[in-house]
Amino acid sequence: MENLKNTHEGRRNFLKYIINGGLAGFVISIFYPLISYLKPPKQEDVEVSSVSAGKIDNLEKDTGKIIQFGTKPVLLIRTQNDKLLAFDAICTHLDCTVQYKSDMGVIWCACHNGKYDLSGRNIFGPPPKPLQPFNVVLKGDEIIISKQS
Amino acid sequence: MKSLMKKIYNWFDERVKLEDLVNFMGKKYVPVHRHSVWYYFGGVTLFFFIIQVITGILLLFYYKASSDLAFESIQFIMSKVEFGWLVRSIHAWSANLFILAAFIHMFSVLFEKSYRKPREITWLTGMLMFFLGLGFGFSGYLLPWNELAFFATKVGSDIFGAIPLIGEDLKIFMRGGEDVTGATLSRMFGFHVALFPAIFSFLLVIHLLLVQRQGISQPIEMEGKELDKEKKMPFFPNFFLRDLLLWLLVLNILAILSVFFPSELGHKADPFASAPEGIKPEWYFLFMFQTLKYFPAHVWFIEGEVLGILLFGAAGILWLLIPFWDTKSSKGEKNRLVNYLGIFAVIFIIVLTILGWLL
Amino acid sequence: MKSVIKIIIISFWILIVSGLSQAQSQQDQCFVCHESIGDNVATLFKKDIHYQKNISCSACHGGNNKSEDMEEAMNPRNGYVGVPKGDQISTRCINCHSNSETMKKYGSNLPTNQIEQIRNSVHWQRSTKGTEHIVQCSTCHNAHGIVSVKNPSSPVYSLNLPKTCSKCHSNTVFMRSYNPSLPVDQFQKYKTSVHGIRNLNGDTKAADCSDCHGSHDIRKATDIKSKVYPTNIPETCSVCHSNANYMKSYNIATDQFSKFAASVHGKALLEKNDLNAPTCNSCHGNHAATPPGVESISKVCGTCHVLNSDLFSGSPHKQVFDKKKYPECETCHKYHDIVTASNELLGVSKNAVCSKCHSETENTKGFAIAKKMRSLIDSLESEIKTANELINEAEQKGMEISDAKFKLRDANQAKLESRTMVHSFDYEKFKEIVSNKGLKTTSQIKEEARSSIDNYFFRRYGLVVSVLIMTMLAVALYLYIKQIEKRKKTN
Repeated sequence: MENLKNTHEGRRNFLKYIINGGLAGFVISIFYPLISYLKPPKQEDVEVSSVSAGKIDNLEKDTGKIIQFGTKPVLLIRTQNDKLLAFDAICTHLDCTVQYKSDMGVIWCACHNGKYDLSGRNIFGPPPKPLQPFNVVLKGDEIIISKQS
Repeated sequence: MKSLMKKIYNWFDERVKLEDLVNFMGKKYVPVHRHSVWYYFGGVTLFFFIIQVITGILLLFYYKASSDLAFESIQFIMSKVEFGWLVRSIHAWSANLFILAAFIHMFSVLFEKSYRKPREITWLTGMLMFFLGLGFGFSGYLLPWNELAFFATKVGSDIFGAIPLIGEDLKIFMRGGEDVTGATLSRMFGFHVALFPAIFSFLLVIHLLLVQRQGISQPIEMEGKELDKEKKMPFFPNFFLRDLLLWLLVLNILAILSVFFPSELGHKADPFASAPEGIKPEWYFLFMFQTLKYFPAHVWFIEGEVLGILLFGAAGILWLLIPFWDTKSSKGEKNRLVNYLGIFAVIFIIVLTILGWLL
Repeated sequence: MKSVIKIIIISFWILIVSGLSQAQSQQDQCFVCHESIGDNVATLFKKDIHYQKNISCSACHGGNNKSEDMEEAMNPRNGYVGVPKGDQISTRCINCHSNSETMKKYGSNLPTNQIEQIRNSVHWQRSTKGTEHIVQCSTCHNAHGIVSVKNPSSPVYSLNLPKTCSKCHSNTVFMRSYNPSLPVDQFQKYKTSVHGIRNLNGDTKAADCSDCHGSHDIRKATDIKSKVYPTNIPETCSVCHSNANYMKSYNIATDQFSKFAASVHGKALLEKNDLNAPTCNSCHGNHAATPPGVESISKVCGTCHVLNSDLFSGSPHKQVFDKKKYPECETCHKYHDIVTASNELLGVSKNAVCSKCHSETENTKGFAIAKKMRSLIDSLESEIKTANELINEAEQKGMEISDAKFKLRDANQAKLESRTMVHSFDYEKFKEIVSNKGLKTTSQIKEEARSSIDNYFFRRYGLVVSVLIMTMLAVALYLYIKQIEKRKKTN
């Protein structure tokens, strides 16, 4: 009788352990995804209609820099006379990425020597179409690039 | 450990008299009979609602309700946010299963005649919550702002526009303008996350309080008799634990469905694109949508569509008011008419849903 | 009775006078008189087609051409206008030349739409004076002595036409007042072109100004309807150059148009309307049209393909090609039927152009390098393909992979740059681009894509684990319920 009661107790304890363990696991399997979900993702903003291109001090005069805009590259240029310009950096010829060439004063594609002037117009070489311009504004000392509507 | 729990319990008990509540719960019984299984569906529906609230709140952390950003923000949730895909998929699956569970709960109550006196208010609040649930489905469908949702909302609100007298105003009210635009999205978002939840919660509190206050309904033939021990089960902990068990299983199913059939997003809505082929409403609207298709263009002097909407409206009101015209059941007599009506409704809904699905 | 006789006499007199005047009208008194005084205009008019068709001076100048009396004949009361000025000139011509009935009466089947054509032409602008249009009919066709275009003495006869047009178009001062940026050396250039040389040697079949520019309907080259608008040029040239019969005596091919239309340039120009694509004159010149010389081909192609041309000129091939008189770009890429370059061109396989000169026994060094270059670019291509497939797989599994996708652009760029670098025929430079820029990027992409795909499986495993936990919990709960129910019963 004593024995039977013991096994009975034992079984009940075992069940309790399982329930407690299961509960713990359950809590983890609920809260792990939940907390991961609430953790801010790497890319803070979903808005790809505008993107920050960093501080203006990091961009010297008469240079250009490629900025990631969504999944597309955008070429940001600070001209000699301190104007900020931005263009779609995908060459309209064969999708290479263009760059700013200060010695020629043009936007230049390394692949086939295509050239665009600083209004984005294709002025030399194989590019069939001009580059799409983007809006650039200065918020304080931060450069903001946005799509032209 | 144990003493700590006890201390906390005592602390609360001293202040809010938990003893009464425990006693009340301990005296609550759930009748046991061959139709007992249907009792669980109210709980399951409640569980789905709780999941909707939790995942809905989670989605609100990242969702942006504007026609420019809605689609992109959901894309962001699906791709960038960790487990975002899981949260959205559970929200979508749980929404569908919520409606399904509510359907089953409603029909089980109907066939058991549990709406009879004194539970008329429980039925009324339940039915209103059911209609709100459909409203949740309709308003939530547009929020991803994808092609399918856009056109489904267009068609859906057009149908509302066919209601005589108030239809046109109602349509403009729903759309927030002449057409489905960003304004409609804002409006639907407002309905979905603020207005409907508020009303729903209010109704739900009444519904649950009444269930607790009046106890669980027994089948007519068992009424009046004192139940012996074999024929009843304590609500706490027996029925409560069984409920929990079922909820666990349901959660399992939800997880599996969400991982293997995650919600799709489709293409962003373009108001100027032509409608894609095969726009269908969500499955729970399908039987109404399909029925409207079968109406001829004109019946006597009214338009077929208008007639259909009026008939559905009349049927809905009739359904809502069952406890008030079915006086037989309240007297404890059998009312076969309700059974026939219920069976007809079940068959009608199933057949037309299948037809709508296939055609 | 007397009065009757009077009437008869008067009527007779009238009859005689009128009879006389009829006899006079057989002669055009304007012409008779002007010829007799040795007026040059009359001499010219004698050859004029209008004179031969019995059209009087007065048709254009007005007046009474039947009167011998100068006062009477050239009296403004009789409609005499003297020398027509400005637009009056063309108006006189148009009166008949735009009326098919009139033209038929004179037995002419000339077209009657010249006025409509010229109205749309660049020449029908108002002149600097503002009172008239720049060009009148007489500007090209002369005023007196107009003859058929087929007549060698006509200013618009094929052999005379270049000179006629050059009267204005080679006049710097005149042209400056209308279009300062338009060159005025067309005639000079034309004289050096194949067409011009033949024309000067009396070949009327060789293209003259009107063959390319049209005659009455000459439009600006920037006008989309112009025959010399870039996309219309191939068609314009092909009128002669694709006509096997016409070109028979010159003994040159007539398939240039069909070849060009199927080429990468032709498709860009004619199908995509890409005005940057070369048209016939981009390589051949327009007024100085001639096939480019063997040694200048790379310069001609290099006007657009700058990097390739430059690399080629600095490569060892340049010297050898010059020595052997191989046309530069053309040897590998052909000319009118240039197709999009593919990897197939490189290497030593059957289709590869390198194997034309390089083989295992001949020019072996190039053979080895071509083989190595080809295998490098092939490996880059296949790496890009795998990277792309991995990205697609990850995307299909619903994973976010836009960073890797962004990098894929760099890999593709390396592929394109390496293709240009081929023209240096320098293995080290080529390898630098393919491995350092291309293969390095593809391996990064592959790594990122693979980790994304791994993450996808993590979801599945996560599900299995949590389902197991929940199921276990559910089973335990079930057992627990059974237990307490059993205990209740035994109690």
